[in-house]
Amino acid sequence: MPTIIYYRNKCIGCGICFEMQPELWRLSKKDGKVTLLWSVAKKDLFILPVNKDLEQQCREVANACPVKIIKIS
Amino acid sequence: MVKKTIELLSPVGSFDCLQAAIKAGADAIYFGVEQLNMRTRSSGGFSISDIQEVAAICKKAGIRSYITLNTVMYEHDMQLLQTILKEVKKRGIDAVIASDFAVIEYCRQLQIPLHISTQANVSNIEAVQFFSAFADVVVLARELTLKQVAHISKEIKRKHIIGPAGQLVKLEAFVHGALCMAVSGKCYLSLHSQNASANRGACIQNCRRTYTVTDTETQESLLIDHEYIMSPKDLCTIDMLDQLLLSGISVLKIEGRSKGSDYVFTTTQCYREAINAIEDKAYTTEKIENWMKRLATVYNRGFWEGYYLGRKMGEWASQPGSVATEKKVYVGRGSKYYPRKKIGEFLIESGTVKVGDQLMISGPQLGMAREQMLTLTVNGVLADQAVKGDKITFPVEAKITVKDKLYKIIDN
Repeated sequence: MPTIIYYRNKCIGCGICFEMQPELWRLSKKDGKVTLLWSVAKKDLFILPVNKDLEQQCREVANACPVKIIKIS
Repeated sequence: MVKKTIELLSPVGSFDCLQAAIKAGADAIYFGVEQLNMRTRSSGGFSISDIQEVAAICKKAGIRSYITLNTVMYEHDMQLLQTILKEVKKRGIDAVIASDFAVIEYCRQLQIPLHISTQANVSNIEAVQFFSAFADVVVLARELTLKQVAHISKEIKRKHIIGPAGQLVKLEAFVHGALCMAVSGKCYLSLHSQNASANRGACIQNCRRTYTVTDTETQESLLIDHEYIMSPKDLCTIDMLDQLLLSGISVLKIEGRSKGSDYVFTTTQCYREAINAIEDKAYTTEKIENWMKRLATVYNRGFWEGYYLGRKMGEWASQPGSVATEKKVYVGRGSKYYPRKKIGEFLIESGTVKVGDQLMISGPQLGMAREQMLTLTVNGVLADQAVKGDKITFPVEAKITVKDKLYKIIDN
């Protein structure tokens, strides 16, 4: 199962992930950064396993992130 | 002419740099927190919780501290912006540097002193007059000539333009550091190519590379003549600082929040000495040569005097990175300090060091210190050389902590 690994601390709040995949990402009004929905926090990382059919779209989102803090493994 | 009203403003991207700036004689520092500043990507960055410590360190050292909040602001940034501004007000940071009207308005409401950022591209007296309703200091656009600066400064006095604090509006200008090809940093190159907006502090600096032009008809590629056509050399005004001060600039700003403590220390120290020399009427060619030599030892892309003398075209860098005459190589980190004997212990993690090497130590407590290694003890035994894995001790003046990093200085 592909997994999204998101390093939230370095998010600059550009919102591209939220624009591309609104079902998984939300812009937090509290600190202007993006939150990965239903993810589990592990230290500074946020981790979310996703369905195989979402992998391609997730990779596109990871690629679009300007600060490259989204990884798919 | 020049009175003791000139303020030297140094860039601070980490606690190492903060201490280095204080040690080198800065009058004020500027720094950014979280993602709402123009060096979000490149500098290690402070968080909201660091504001208190930065303010406390600056107050203790008797210098002023300014916080940059000068990115483009979106609706979803407002909550974070307010949180930061409340903390700024509470901890007594001296001013906010901003260009977005939301920040300007919040600062007015919270009565936080405001400086208008160079991002606002202030290039004429009317703009200064407009901003004087909100700000006591205006950072001028980097593209102005000295003549234009002098005119603005004269008009401020003639029209008696005063800021909210009740004093004449002060002019601030960049005196040293990186320039970019875009007018007042408003560049979209990084955004278009990598989706990384320079105006949100995420610039990937693709202007600093070489490019080829391809003829779409013949597919022939040509390397552009000026190899780095979009990468200007760095600004350096130490040889014309007297003219700059005469034009009426009273805050001299050094660029470089993403650079190391050695850069902050050397540039701040050189400009401090230069300002003092001008004030003491001892600003000589020999001194200028010496400063230029020292400035060339730290990160730079080659120097030019910017647009101040009315140059139409920028001078382009000859290579992608720094042309500094010295470079620092990481060798290890601090582990212990013996205060009575003034001896520091370090663990070598990379490369080698030997007796006679020029070393640099960078850390959040001591800022930046240069040492020449005169004697060296490796794992308790006197030796000439140490390699990776060795514990070494040698005499150091400054107190060493585990957060200090040890670098070897080598000629570039």
